[in-house]
Amino acid sequence: MGFKKRIVTMLARVANNLFWMGRYIERSEHLARYLNVNYFSSLDAPHELSQSRQFMLRSMLFMVGDPMNDARHELDEENVLFDTSLNQEKFYSVISNVKAARENANGTRDLISTGLYEAINRFYHYVLNYDVNFFVKKGLYDFTVHVMEQTAVLRGKIRGSLLHDEVYAIIMLGINIERATQVIRIINAKYHDAEMATGSYSNQVAHSFEWTTLLKCIESYDMMRRFYRKTPTSLSTLEFLILNSDCPRSVMNSLNQICKHVSVLKKTKSSSKDSTSFLVGKLRAEIEFTRVEAIECDVNGFIQQILERLVEISQKMEKEFFTY
Amino acid sequence: MPEDKDPIIFSSYESKRGLFDEVFNEDGSVKSIYKTLFDLYGGHSVYDYENLNNKAKASFFNQGITFQVYDDEVAQEKIFPFDLFPRIIHPKEWDMIEKGAIQRSRALNLFLWDIYHDKKIIKDKVVPLDLLSSSENYLHQMMDLDPPGGIYNHISGTDIIKHSDGQYYVLEDNIRCPSGVSYVICNRTALKRALFGVFNHYQAHTVTNYAENLLQILETVKPRGVDNPNCVVITPGRFNSAYYEHSYLAKAMGVELVEGQDLYVENDFVYMKTINGRQKVDVIYRRIDDTFIDPLEFNPNSALGVPGLFAAYKKGNVSLANAPGTGVADDKAIYTYMPEIIKYYLKENPILNNVRTYKCSKSDELKYVLENIDKLVIKPVDEAGGYGISIGNQLTKKEIEKVREVIKEHPRKYIAQPILSLSVHPTYIEEENSFEQRHIDLRTFTLLGKDKEFVLKGGLTRVALKKGNLIVNSSQGGGSKDTWVLKNES
Repeated sequence: MGFKKRIVTMLARVANNLFWMGRYIERSEHLARYLNVNYFSSLDAPHELSQSRQFMLRSMLFMVGDPMNDARHELDEENVLFDTSLNQEKFYSVISNVKAARENANGTRDLISTGLYEAINRFYHYVLNYDVNFFVKKGLYDFTVHVMEQTAVLRGKIRGSLLHDEVYAIIMLGINIERATQVIRIINAKYHDAEMATGSYSNQVAHSFEWTTLLKCIESYDMMRRFYRKTPTSLSTLEFLILNSDCPRSVMNSLNQICKHVSVLKKTKSSSKDSTSFLVGKLRAEIEFTRVEAIECDVNGFIQQILERLVEISQKMEKEFFTY
Repeated sequence: MPEDKDPIIFSSYESKRGLFDEVFNEDGSVKSIYKTLFDLYGGHSVYDYENLNNKAKASFFNQGITFQVYDDEVAQEKIFPFDLFPRIIHPKEWDMIEKGAIQRSRALNLFLWDIYHDKKIIKDKVVPLDLLSSSENYLHQMMDLDPPGGIYNHISGTDIIKHSDGQYYVLEDNIRCPSGVSYVICNRTALKRALFGVFNHYQAHTVTNYAENLLQILETVKPRGVDNPNCVVITPGRFNSAYYEHSYLAKAMGVELVEGQDLYVENDFVYMKTINGRQKVDVIYRRIDDTFIDPLEFNPNSALGVPGLFAAYKKGNVSLANAPGTGVADDKAIYTYMPEIIKYYLKENPILNNVRTYKCSKSDELKYVLENIDKLVIKPVDEAGGYGISIGNQLTKKEIEKVREVIKEHPRKYIAQPILSLSVHPTYIEEENSFEQRHIDLRTFTLLGKDKEFVLKGGLTRVALKKGNLIVNSSQGGGSKDTWVLKNES
C-alpha cells in the first residue's frame, strides 16, 4: 500500500498571489540596483552632464515612471532618494514593492516553505525599520546592497526549498516576466540618458559612458566584458542584453524561462492560438531571429513593442490561469 | 555565570498574600514540580534573560506570528507577548481537566442536537424556554437539520482558571470559532529555540499533534457517499486578526486555505476555483462567524461567505465545522445551567466546577446582585473578548450606581459571579526587568468527531500583563506562556 496521494491543485486566487510575489521581489531588486549604480557611477562620470546630480536624479524618476519633465525645476536629492526607496506613499518605491511582495506571500503562506516565508518577512521588517534620516544622508549604499542580497536569498529559497511543481512554475513566471520587463525599461531609461548626454551627435551615442552604467544596472558588465573583450558600444550592449540567451538577464533568456515554466501549467498538449504559451512562443521566435542592427535602427520603437508584448502576455496569463 | 553586580532574575520577586501562586508556597519555598525549573532559570542574570527575551521576540516577528491592532484607523502589526517562564501542569490535575473538557463538549453537543430537534430539555423544564427564544444566536434554520456525524461542536475552547482555593473552575465554553491553538504550538517552538536545555529535565507532552488530529476529526464527519474527503479551511482573509492561525492550520493539515471568493455552489455542491478548473469541497473548517457564511441565508451584506453554502449544507453535501448555530450554547446564560445539562444528558456529575452564577433574569438573584455589586463581577451575557465586564471591587461608588442602573434596565442581559481570584505565575515584566506575579488562565482545545475525541495536552496559558488585571484576552493586553503537561510526576 502506498501513500494516499492528494490531487495536487492550486486556487486561482493563490496562483495570482504567487505570480505577483515573484514580480514584486524581482522589481525591488532592479530598482535598488538602478538607484545604486546610477548614483555611484555619476560621482566620477566622464561627461559633464552625466556627472550632474540633477541629471542622475531625473534618470531615477524616469526609471520609476514618475518623470520630471520641467527642465527648470530643481530636484531635491533627499526627496528623490526617499521617494524612490522608503516612501510608502509612492507605489513605485522599494518599500512599496517589498510590502506588496510580502502581502502576496501572506496570501500564499500555506503553500510556500516556512524558510521562504520567514526570509520574506525578515526582508520586510528590515526595509520597514530602516532609518529614513540615515538613509537619505548616507544609507543609500548599505540599503540598496542589502535589498539586492535579500532578493538573492529569496531566489535561493524559492529554487532550493519549494517543490518544483506548479507553485514554483508560477513564481518563476512572475520573476521572469518582471525581469524581461525591467531590463527593457532600464535599457529604455539609459538609452534616453545616452541621447541626452550626447546632444545631437548620434555617432557619440554609440560610445557613450551610459552603456557601461546600463550594463552595471543589469549586473552584466563583467560578463559582457568577458564575452566581447571590448569596451561596450550601443550595438554590443543591446545584443548582449536582448539577444544573448547565455546572459541570465537577457530578454532572450527570460523568454526561454517563461516558455519552460508555462509548459508546466498548460492544461492541454495542443497549444491553442489563444493561449499564453502561444504568445510567449511567438515572441521568443521573433526575437531569436532578430538581428541587433535591426533593433539599432529604431531602438525606441523596438522597446515600446516588446513592452507591449510583455504586458499582453501577462494579461493573457491572468485571464487563462488566475480568473475562473 | 552572572557577575556579582548583575542581579539574579528572581531577586526582586514579591509574593502578595492571599493570591494562589503556581510556583511558590506561602512560605516562599518552591513547589516541588517547579524545583528543577526554578534552579535552571535562577542561574540567569537579568541581562542574560533580557537577551533571551529579545531573541524570542525577533523570532515571532520573523515567523510572522502577529496580529493587527487598529489604532486611530491605522493597522499596526504586533506580536502576542510571550513569557519564557513556562507553566507546568501536574499529570493528575491534567487528567481531571481532560476528562472534564471532554464531558462538557459531549454534553454541549447533545444539548445542541436536542434544542435543534425535540427540545426535550425544555419540555422537562431543566432549561427555561425563554433562554433560547431570547437568544440572538439561536438559528431557526438549523431546526431539524442533522449535521454529518451528528456533531455540532467539533472544536471547543474551554477557559479554565485556578481559584485561590486551589480548585479549577470553568469560566467559559467557546464553541463558535475558538482561536489560539496556533499560539500553543508557536510558544513551544519559541521556548525550544531560546531555552532548549530545560526540556532535558522534564518529560512534557508534545503539542504538535493538534493538526493531524484535527484533520482526522474533520474526516470523520465527511458527507455521505464521499470516500476521500477534500477538506479546506475558510478564512475571512489575510487582514483578519487570526489569519496566522488559519494559514498555520491549513499548512499543518496540508489542505487548502480558501476565502469565500474561491468557492461557489452549483446544484447544492460546493466547489473551489483552481488553476485546473473546479474541484469539489466536502468538509469546511470555517473560521467565519455564523452570520457571514452565506449571504443568501444570513447577513445579505456578507462578502466573506459563499452564496448557497447553507443550502448545500442542508442537503448534506458538505460538512461545516463547527456547525452553524452553536453560539446559542456557549453564551453566559446557558453556562449557568451547565451542571444540569451535563447531568441531564450524560447522567454524570460534572467533573469540572462551574462558577456560582447569579442570573439577573431571576428576581431574587437580581436583588442579591444589586445589593452586592462591590463583591461581584458583572458580565454581559453575549459579549466576547472581555468587553463590557465590570469588576465590583475596582469601581467607585458612582460607577457602582451606574452599573446598577444599567442592570435594572436590561436584567436579562447580565449575570454576576463572585470575584474569583485567578492564580498567579511569575512573569517577566520588560519595563521592570524582573519577574512579578501576574494572573493566568488556561484555554484548552477539545476536538469531537464521530466516534473520536481528542484534547490537546497543553493549552494556552494566558497572562494578564497589566498589574492586578484579571482580564487575560489578547485584545486587552494579555500575553501567554508555554504550557507543559507532564507525562509523569518526575
